[in-house]
Amino acid sequence: MSTLKQLAEYVEKGKSQEIKPLVQKLLGDNISADRIVSEGVVPGLDAIGEKFSKFECFVPELMVAALAAQEALTVLRPKMTEGTLHKSMGTIVIGTVEGDVHDVGKNIVSMMLEGAGFKVIDLGVNVPTAKFLKEVQYQEAEILALSSLYTPTRLAMKDVLQALKSQGIRDKVKVMVGGAPIDQAFCDLIGADGYAPDAPQGVKLAKRLIQAKG
Amino acid sequence: MKEDKIYKDRRYRINELRANNEKMTARQRTLKAIDFKEPDRIPIDNWMVSEIKKRCMDYWGCESEEELLAFLGVDIRDNYGPSYVGQEFKKYDDGTVDDLWGVRRKIVTYGKGTDHEGTFKEVSWSPLEHMTTVEEINSYARWPSPGWWDYSKVKQECARWHPEYFVLNKGDRLDRTAQLKPMMYLRGIQQTFIDLAMNPEIVECIRDHVVNYFVEYNPKVFEAGGKEIDMFMMGDDVGGQRGPLVSREMWKRYFADGFRKYCDIAHKYGLKVMYHTCGDVFALIPLFIENGLDCLQSIQPQATNMDIKRLKKEFGKHLSFQGGMDIQQVLPLGTPEDVRKMVKYAADNAKAGGGYIFGTSHNIQADTPMENVAALFEAYHEYGAY
Repeated sequence: MSTLKQLAEYVEKGKSQEIKPLVQKLLGDNISADRIVSEGVVPGLDAIGEKFSKFECFVPELMVAALAAQEALTVLRPKMTEGTLHKSMGTIVIGTVEGDVHDVGKNIVSMMLEGAGFKVIDLGVNVPTAKFLKEVQYQEAEILALSSLYTPTRLAMKDVLQALKSQGIRDKVKVMVGGAPIDQAFCDLIGADGYAPDAPQGVKLAKRLIQAKG
Repeated sequence: MKEDKIYKDRRYRINELRANNEKMTARQRTLKAIDFKEPDRIPIDNWMVSEIKKRCMDYWGCESEEELLAFLGVDIRDNYGPSYVGQEFKKYDDGTVDDLWGVRRKIVTYGKGTDHEGTFKEVSWSPLEHMTTVEEINSYARWPSPGWWDYSKVKQECARWHPEYFVLNKGDRLDRTAQLKPMMYLRGIQQTFIDLAMNPEIVECIRDHVVNYFVEYNPKVFEAGGKEIDMFMMGDDVGGQRGPLVSREMWKRYFADGFRKYCDIAHKYGLKVMYHTCGDVFALIPLFIENGLDCLQSIQPQATNMDIKRLKKEFGKHLSFQGGMDIQQVLPLGTPEDVRKMVKYAADNAKAGGGYIFGTSHNIQADTPMENVAALFEAYHEYGAY
């Protein structure tokens, strides 16, 4: 088995402890960080995402796979500035909106987006609208991803969309929304660009939004 | 009750419908329904955040929560169990406070300055999160003890609702009988999921501490309640919006035994068991039934596979249901007509043969317009009659 395939399997199975030595070995073999992500991390996450979508695995298995991908990325992240993957995939600013401190779902999405090759700036939880705006501009982000768990807190997403408009930067960034109380109707209601019901579909959505942006 | 004309007018419709429909006490009605028989109307339970309770009292001119529930025709009265008399919960300089499990909680405000402003008590620190061995977890100094409670007033607190109302022993949200939830509080949600996938001995260790606590605590509560408790409720969220959080195999491996023990204890005291879980748990329902469940609560209609019509058809012979009213989309974002349609749909599809209690799939949240809350209760009385 090629070692990139081996890495994909470790990611899929959430074998965090085996990941770092293997990634170091791959880098030592002069395989670029971008290639390790594209041919090792991405196929591993795609495989677990596929299983999750078919109910062949559930949140615990998805969580450990996402964390395993993060293990690889802690080594690869500094080296990815040399490659073109981040530039071609795009930058995503993500966070849980103000008034809401839930981050388990958001963290899985964030880790899977990064594992898919995006540059991800995770602002954490209870993020004020102004902070989202500032980071989107500072990072020149292509996508802003917003999360909430409660119905009353999801209304803060609407505030973020309005603020983007009033600052005149709404057309510069695609906004994707997710979390238990979010559906397509709510996404349309607040004028966001896309909604995904779970993390693997969130990754697909982000790819579509980047393509649509051109 | 305030007698001003505006309040009387607002109360008129519900009062009129109730006068026409009701022929038995709330307790008789609910006992009949959970025994799969048809009472005079579908019983009503009520879950609301405190902000909505306050708004309802203002809207209908009720001077206490008790008056509000009596006016709305809510049949179930909650019993929170014994009184806590253990060591005082420690308060910290950062505003966080220990709970029963030694988990630190903080008050988080949402919707600041808006008409839907409210607060939630959130976990801010999980004491077992960074422990790595079973030994460390076993030696955790704050495992709760059933000895920390005074059970002497349980009976009189329940009896004050009898014979009129149906008494549900449900505990407080933070110390309700469960397995996975306390584990998530103690260990953190993310670490709990990692443990479920990778650290079986840690899952089993924490679970055993939690289960052993409730297995000792619940009989004391039921004993203390005498015959004044009508039903026992436990709650443990195992469903996500689109499916169970864990596989059937994992639920069987880690949680079936505890679930069975909790049900067996209640049954020994002649109590039926209601179980709250959010989300889509369709695939787990046969396991719940197999392990002793009588009534499933929440029935979150926006979750995949939780359509009340289908559940009634598939499981209605063995399981009763409480809930089915959507707090995610219809109540906060729909029109009063949408609310009425939702209530009618549930009544039409779940009331036959009893086994159904009206209720919202969780607390009605602070972002719900008052006109929709009013429509909900009016529709309960309009469509609930047998």
